[in-house]
Amino acid sequence: MNKTVQTILEYAQRLVDENVVSESDMISMRSELNFMYITKAGAKLRELTEDDVIKLNIFKVDNEYKYHAEIYKEREDINAICQCYPKWVMPIAKAGVTIPAVLDDMAQIVGPTCKTSADDIKSIIKTLKGRNSCLVKDKGCITSGRTLDEAYTCVLVLDKASHCFVASSVIGENKIINGFEARLMRFIYKTKYSKKNQENLSAKEEGEKVSEELPAKEEGEV
Amino acid sequence: MAWDKETELKLRQVIKDSGVALLNENLVQGTWGNTAVRLDEDHMLVTPTGLDYIALTPEDMPVVQISDPSIWSDGKKPTSERKIHAAIMQARPEINATIHSHPIFCSILASARIELPVMNDEMQKLVGGPCRVGAYGLPGTKKLKEGTVAAMQGRNACFMANHGVFCAGKDMDEAFEIIRIMEKSCYQYIQECTLKATGQSTYSDELLFDYFVAQKTAPKGKKK
Repeated sequence: MNKTVQTILEYAQRLVDENVVSESDMISMRSELNFMYITKAGAKLRELTEDDVIKLNIFKVDNEYKYHAEIYKEREDINAICQCYPKWVMPIAKAGVTIPAVLDDMAQIVGPTCKTSADDIKSIIKTLKGRNSCLVKDKGCITSGRTLDEAYTCVLVLDKASHCFVASSVIGENKIINGFEARLMRFIYKTKYSKKNQENLSAKEEGEKVSEELPAKEEGEV
Repeated sequence: MAWDKETELKLRQVIKDSGVALLNENLVQGTWGNTAVRLDEDHMLVTPTGLDYIALTPEDMPVVQISDPSIWSDGKKPTSERKIHAAIMQARPEINATIHSHPIFCSILASARIELPVMNDEMQKLVGGPCRVGAYGLPGTKKLKEGTVAAMQGRNACFMANHGVFCAGKDMDEAFEIIRIMEKSCYQYIQECTLKATGQSTYSDELLFDYFVAQKTAPKGKKK
């Protein structure tokens, strides 16, 4: 089996195991500059097979694949996308509000805030500017990354931060990490200890030979 | 070294099992948590940094000096949170095992920086009173370490602001009992707050969803 397809199947199962999927989730990975492998529209991640993953030219796609294709066209730094409907993200997407930096791991992995975009690709691209995740009004979330592992981790961290944000409505407002510290953590995460990991993971997801042991996280480990 | 090889081997297995148990009990996500167990007055075994708990072997656990956690030997590179484990072990000679993790319900209270009142007899017995919140500090900083040590005074657990929870016991079994009761008590607190806010008598996640959406979408000045 193609290594990229295998990676997509593996991470689809991980998302199912973590209970952060619904019925119409889609995940994809860039292949070369102008192509992507993507789960077929309508295919359920719970029952995904090799035949449900297709390779498309990002400049020649049908409407149902447009969100992924347009993000890849616009953002050459993005190599993988998860479009999911995690349980705790949904009420925030419905309310259409922004999640502030409620937890260290959110500030590091998702970013200092996560905004809700209108449900159209222009707004999504605009909301994703300088970020790798956003919520989509009345829908779920779109996360992206240098690797599928990074996009997948974003889904988990975003769902946890969302749970904290939603529960804060009854236990007392979240005390937000200040903007400078949140941005500093994000900067360190992106430039220091995750960079080498992502380079190795990227090679691994694409089936290249990599060293057995990935470099461990350094200071700032969450 | 003031410990024998047999004890070390046994404790290496204890710490390996602790990582797997955290995963199995859904008390940790991925590699984002760490545990430590005391070997003697000035040494402890800790989990290595950023590595998969299932794949780790007992031999991978490094020995860290409590009085100067920058010094370590054997095993793989220790967790960067070792300074907090060491500070607690140094301040509290009766503590022999520590757990730092980010289970969901503890994380919720940590993110709101709310002191958890005593929710049940088990919490009083195991934690020793209300669970405080340590001052916020960036991961790996002295401020975070000192805030955690201060919040742990006279307690066996504390929240780390916007981060997670820290638990300490006389052994790893007790440290596990503490993190379990903390997670259970936090959930109980959130449920009680939801029922109080909504005026309902039975908790469901949907009740919390609806309350949140109503709060966030209410016209300004009409929030409850």
